Amino acid sequence: MTTTPEPTADVIAERITRFLEERTKISFAVDTDVFASGSVNSLFAMELVVFLEESFDVEIGGSDLRLDNMRTVRSMTGLVQRLRDADEDGHG
Amino acid sequence: MAETVTELDRLRAFADELIGDSADSWDRAGTIPEEIVRKAGARGLMCAQVPERHGGLGLSSADNGELTAFVGSRCSSLRSLMTSQGMAAWTVQRLGDRKQRAALLPRLAGGEQAAVAFSEPGAGSDLSAMATRIEPDGDRVVVTGEKVWITAACYAEHLVVFGRYGDGTAAVVVPAHAEGVRVERVPEPLGCRAAGHARVRLDGVRVPAAEVLGGAGQSTELLVSTALAYGRMSVAWGCAGILRGALASVSRHARTRTQFGKPLAGHQLVARHVAELLAAEQTATRVCAHASHCWDTRSPEVVSATVLAKYVSSRHAAAGAATAVQVLASAGAQESHPVARAYRDAKLMEIIEGSNEICELLLAEHALSVHA
Ligand SMILES: Cc1cc2nc3c(=O)[nH]c(=O)nc-3n(C[C@H](O)[C@H](O)[C@H](O)COP(=O)(O)OP(=O)(O)OC[C@H]3O[C@@H](n4cnc5c(N)ncnc54)[C@H](O)[C@@H]3O)c2cc1C
Repeated sequence: MTTTPEPTADVIAERITRFLEERTKISFAVDTDVFASGSVNSLFAMELVVFLEESFDVEIGGSDLRLDNMRTVRSMTGLVQRLRDADEDGHG
Repeated sequence: MAETVTELDRLRAFADELIGDSADSWDRAGTIPEEIVRKAGARGLMCAQVPERHGGLGLSSADNGELTAFVGSRCSSLRSLMTSQGMAAWTVQRLGDRKQRAALLPRLAGGEQAAVAFSEPGAGSDLSAMATRIEPDGDRVVVTGEKVWITAACYAEHLVVFGRYGDGTAAVVVPAHAEGVRVERVPEPLGCRAAGHARVRLDGVRVPAAEVLGGAGQSTELLVSTALAYGRMSVAWGCAGILRGALASVSRHARTRTQFGKPLAGHQLVARHVAELLAAEQTATRVCAHASHCWDTRSPEVVSATVLAKYVSSRHAAAGAATAVQVLASAGAQESHPVARAYRDAKLMEIIEGSNEICELLLAEHALSVHA
């Protein structure tokens, strides 16, 4: 049983923004299209998937493997929250 | 001092006994006896990374890599079947929902052979050009298209077929013996001759919609890179194995064959070949081990590290196998001799799962985004 408090949207968004900045040296606003910047490559979406899974203890399965889910800090935050909520409902 | 025998040791011993010295004859026959494939599958060898909770052996990527290299050092055809089987299982594990994982993974882990089908006559390096259609029809989907060079298809019970679905892409699990599926063996492939490559025609094949993995309509790129991640890792380790086999053949031959009054190894130009092969084998092993470490620790670097491993390892294997033929000369110049096989097999590893050029494009893009 884990007693770690559920990270808030702000905390999640903050960690994603930090990872993006470390990895791309670009500071993305929450609604900026990460892929439109032209500075990240096609493998980067996969890196984001692995990063989100490992950092927030979620599994991004088949139906969630959409670029739209990875497109902005906001959409990634939403995905993580949705998956964590689903997990709470005994889905894990 | 008690030595601990690990599951990896037991699997290697099992593979050693299973393959024996039959790989040359399998290559000549263009097929591996069904009995062998069945035994390997039943032992869990073919997709040893499937988690135990799904009936697999639950090997780490690092251990499964070493196992893959061991089989690859002896027989790239059997190793190719492992690559396909492991890639099919990984695809189900990653893209499938819980029900699909629970239904399919134990069957794959138990040895029902699977193949993975991306390539088409018009879609090789450019998989966005895939034309195969997966169309919903009530509680079924209808799969129509043509796939080429599908490794393991001749042995397969399940085909994991990628195709267009709505405005995206999906993967669907099709029984290889379903009505409308035709599997036509590729006659006389250059290498991995017993790996059962086939052209697969799907003519309005109807399967339950529940066989579409994890919903549908995902990004082609994410879907394909997910599946290929395993395939690339497996090919990379298989190539490290090719180099180990080549190094062993060359070392043995260079010590025992005498010319100009001394063993070949006593001639410095030959000794350099040996040194280069050792360096190649060690380089490939290290780059694979690093990628597997990233995989096992779930580091985001796994994505680029896997492409790098596939690229470095297959290039070294192709060059190293050519070196091995050079050193063995006429002794290795016979069809199906281990180094002759390595020479043919390794060349194909520079083509599949992202050719040299495609890997170079990916790695260059990666370098430019990280290091610029
Ligand atoms: C032994 C073997 C096993 C295989 N197993 C499978 C399998 O199990 N499942 C499956 O789906 N497929 C399989 N394939 C098919 C394999 O994936 C394709 O052969 C591969 O993707 C390359 O496609 P292609 O052969 O059509 O070559 P093409 O895409 O036509 O490429 C031809 C050449 O052009 C280069 N090229 C293409 N585009 C570019 C570019 N943008 N920039 C620079 N160079 C470029 C390529 O690198 C290559 O050198 C297998 C193939 C072989 C040989």
